[in-house]
Amino acid sequence: MFMSSSTDWQVDVLEFAQKCIYCGYCSLCPTYKELKWETYHPRGILEQIKLYFTEGTKEEVKLDTSKSLFEAIFACTMCKMCENICLADIPLLKIWEQIRQESFKKGRWNPSMLSLYNKVKDTYNIYGLPSEDRLTWAKMSGLVMTRRTKKKAPLAYFIGCQAAYSGKMGQVAPSVVKILRKTKTNFTILGTDEWCCGSPVFLAGGYSVGKSFAKHNLDELKKLGVKRLVTACSGCYRTFKIVYPRVLGDSWDIEVLHISELANELIKAGKLKLKHKFKEKITFKDPCELVRHCELIEAPRDVINSIPNVRFEELPSNRNEALCCGGGGLLKLNDSELVGKVNSKLISEIEYSEADIVANGCPTCLDTIMTGVKNKGLDVEVIDIAELILRAMGDK
Amino acid sequence: MTLKKKARSRFVRFLGKQLREDRTTLQIYSRDMADLPSLVSIFFQNIPDGVILASSVKDIQTIYSVANETKTPITQRAAGTAGLGGSITYKKGLVIDTKGFEQHYLVNPLDQTVVVSPSYVFSDLQRKLKLEGFSLCSYPSSYHSATIGGWIAHGGHGIGSAQYGGVLEQIVEIEVVLPTGHLVKYTERDHISLFVGSHGTLGTITEVTLRVKFDIPLKHQGCTFDSPKELIQGLEEIVRIFPYSVWFLNPEHVALFNETFGYNLPIRYVAIISKEVNFEEEELEFSRLFNNAVRNAGGQILDRRYTEDIWQFRFKSFSMLKQCKDFVVSEVILPIEASDKYIRKLVSKFKGNIHLEGEVISPTHYALMMYLLYDEKLSSLKKTLLNLKLFNLTIGSKKVKGTPYSTGLWFSGYYGKIYGKDELRRYKEFKKSVDPKNISNPGKVLSPKLRFLPIVSLKFAVRLASRLIL
Ligand SMILES: Cc1cc2nc3c(=O)[nH]c(=O)nc-3n(C[C@H](O)[C@H](O)[C@H](O)COP(=O)(O)OP(=O)(O)OC[C@H]3O[C@@H](n4cnc5c(N)ncnc54)[C@H](O)[C@@H]3O)c2cc1C
Repeated sequence: MFMSSSTDWQVDVLEFAQKCIYCGYCSLCPTYKELKWETYHPRGILEQIKLYFTEGTKEEVKLDTSKSLFEAIFACTMCKMCENICLADIPLLKIWEQIRQESFKKGRWNPSMLSLYNKVKDTYNIYGLPSEDRLTWAKMSGLVMTRRTKKKAPLAYFIGCQAAYSGKMGQVAPSVVKILRKTKTNFTILGTDEWCCGSPVFLAGGYSVGKSFAKHNLDELKKLGVKRLVTACSGCYRTFKIVYPRVLGDSWDIEVLHISELANELIKAGKLKLKHKFKEKITFKDPCELVRHCELIEAPRDVINSIPNVRFEELPSNRNEALCCGGGGLLKLNDSELVGKVNSKLISEIEYSEADIVANGCPTCLDTIMTGVKNKGLDVEVIDIAELILRAMGDK
Repeated sequence: MTLKKKARSRFVRFLGKQLREDRTTLQIYSRDMADLPSLVSIFFQNIPDGVILASSVKDIQTIYSVANETKTPITQRAAGTAGLGGSITYKKGLVIDTKGFEQHYLVNPLDQTVVVSPSYVFSDLQRKLKLEGFSLCSYPSSYHSATIGGWIAHGGHGIGSAQYGGVLEQIVEIEVVLPTGHLVKYTERDHISLFVGSHGTLGTITEVTLRVKFDIPLKHQGCTFDSPKELIQGLEEIVRIFPYSVWFLNPEHVALFNETFGYNLPIRYVAIISKEVNFEEEELEFSRLFNNAVRNAGGQILDRRYTEDIWQFRFKSFSMLKQCKDFVVSEVILPIEASDKYIRKLVSKFKGNIHLEGEVISPTHYALMMYLLYDEKLSSLKKTLLNLKLFNLTIGSKKVKGTPYSTGLWFSGYYGKIYGKDELRRYKEFKKSVDPKNISNPGKVLSPKLRFLPIVSLKFAVRLASRLIL
């Protein structure tokens, strides 16, 4: 069985940095656009990598460079716009992750990141809350999950920390569960044995802890004979789709679906019927982790367009060009003001679209968009796509 | 020359947080698109003393005031995507990052103009315009990164120039802070033209009113030619049908295009022609005229399935550079007429190893990018030699009345060649009147003196070196 080590997943950052042709296309980086110094420009970060990693660089210079390099790397939302537009095909995201790891190794994380890291490590969730509370969302919504918890089934619903613990996301998990129940889909959940997918740990550069999370989740899923995994969280989705295969190798053989993909499949099979008509105009904000990281573009649109007589309008920047909400890459922990600035561009697009409902497939986006919409005083409802699907099924 | 104590304290006092002097920042701001070999950099001092992120007219005025008082050279830098050294310092001083400029945008639908800050990146501006049914008339293929201000100061052409002209033709009004600190607005062509290609030597652009057009759909056609002669004949015929854009590649570049983007284009000279088409009859007429033009020149029509998506690669041609370990690039503006000999010369000189990419920029001229690509990382010496070789070819295109694309640092001293002697005279007079201390981007446009041999100009030294070495 192939299992990767941390070195297997590493790339030669210096070699790639030297491949930059300096066209500057990566200036579309949403945080560089706000911060404006070229030290935050992805091209500028590559220049700093050259300074930092070139053999023979004086320690003093290295130290100087590391200050601005690490600062820049944690100002990144990992939205992947830079990598998608890069003319030299440089795997920028891998590089950014590696620089975060380097900063961890050098003990240069900021205290709030370190605190998150420790919370996840100790309590297996990002909030530092007890594992026993993982099913509070079910209790709050009056759902009894005992018959579904840790039962053998081909499909598992992975709830994710935000949907499980955060009051703001309270409707996400109940919506997914109701969709699955109404479509008579056989599924299981890991209950209190679900651990954070590890996304924030990997994003922070903590490779070995992240790997132990991946192994735990895989073992638990295997015990239940799970072949397919559905999630409504784009961060979990990306981690399962991209990070787990890298970390676990061939042993990770579980098919991963976003709720929009599963819903689409159920619609096509005639098991899910969207019959409720919406008067409201609907738009969809592509989460970066779905669209640019995992190329999941059409499924949410197909689902929305299956709603009878739907008034669906794309945001001006959509699909691969979708704007970042500002909340990714753990930026919230590093610079919440910057999150707001990045987010305001997206909110302007939402306002321009004149949509009444913004559907989304990511708890982080949901949270930042809700805040942005509230701050701007817009009369827009922000909901997860699972909730939209459930409403379209006729559930009040 | 590092910032004098007095100068530094004045800049810190007035611009405090907007000034950075740390080693890393200075290093990052010490280069532009052309990463020149270290050998070349002994001739100039490209590591600035500091970088200021300017955000307003007031900032620029303050900067000029302190710079004049303390004789501190300043060098404007926008996206740093030009490769002629315009945005890097020649004799240290301060880099003024103009991308920090507060952005504003106002379309005037009746006049078909848009007022914008110079820091706008073309793709951002175009996205906004398209939402209102408008489009830029012409823009550089560095669309995703270059800024309005940088393009004007660099002096350029681009996609759409065949129909709508170069950067000068796009400008209705320009607002500039002169090195004297005065804020002025110019609307007369004579004044505006001074700032096009001025590389910030006459002042800092702070606002621009650009011409825009209705967002008319483009239709694309493609054709191929066997030889430079046929290609040039083809271009002469094609410009008569008033295309929006004509873009072509030589066979070596076509082969690389195929390899990079997974196409199977014929390995010949390939040209993609685009035209604005309002309705079906116009499209049919375009096809008819295009077919005739290509037939007259002895070319062949390219399968239409290719042409629509090849257009999408207009902004990605630098992507082909990833196929090689190192490269050297130069660009020259050539008259269409009789330039086939020049192309033939280039091809024979580099034994077919030269990659060429052209864009028609007017009914009579085109811009030709010349790439030399290498499978190994070049030594500093070799890269210097190749740069000089390409330099020589760019300058040596004068038999066909070719000119360098712009001046910047590398082609400083060629302003008269590019814009004419009268313009050079006007430029010099204006420069003298607004910047007597030569603090606004010194070393650019007019050739500077070598710092260790101040009786020799950079232009002379580079020309001599390129001749001697070759
Ligand atoms: C992939 C690619 C494609 C390209 N295609 C084209 C093309 O089609 N056509 C073309 O013309 N060029 C092209 N270029 C070159 C370059 O992109 C353009 O010249 C561009 O317009 C420069 O803009 P910038 O914002 O990068 O300016 P910079 O490179 O930062 O600066 C250019 C010059 O302008 C000066 N400057 C910058 N801002 C100001 C200001 N506010 N006031 C006064 N002076 C200022 C600088 O000092 C410098 O001398 C291309 C480059 C790349 C990498």
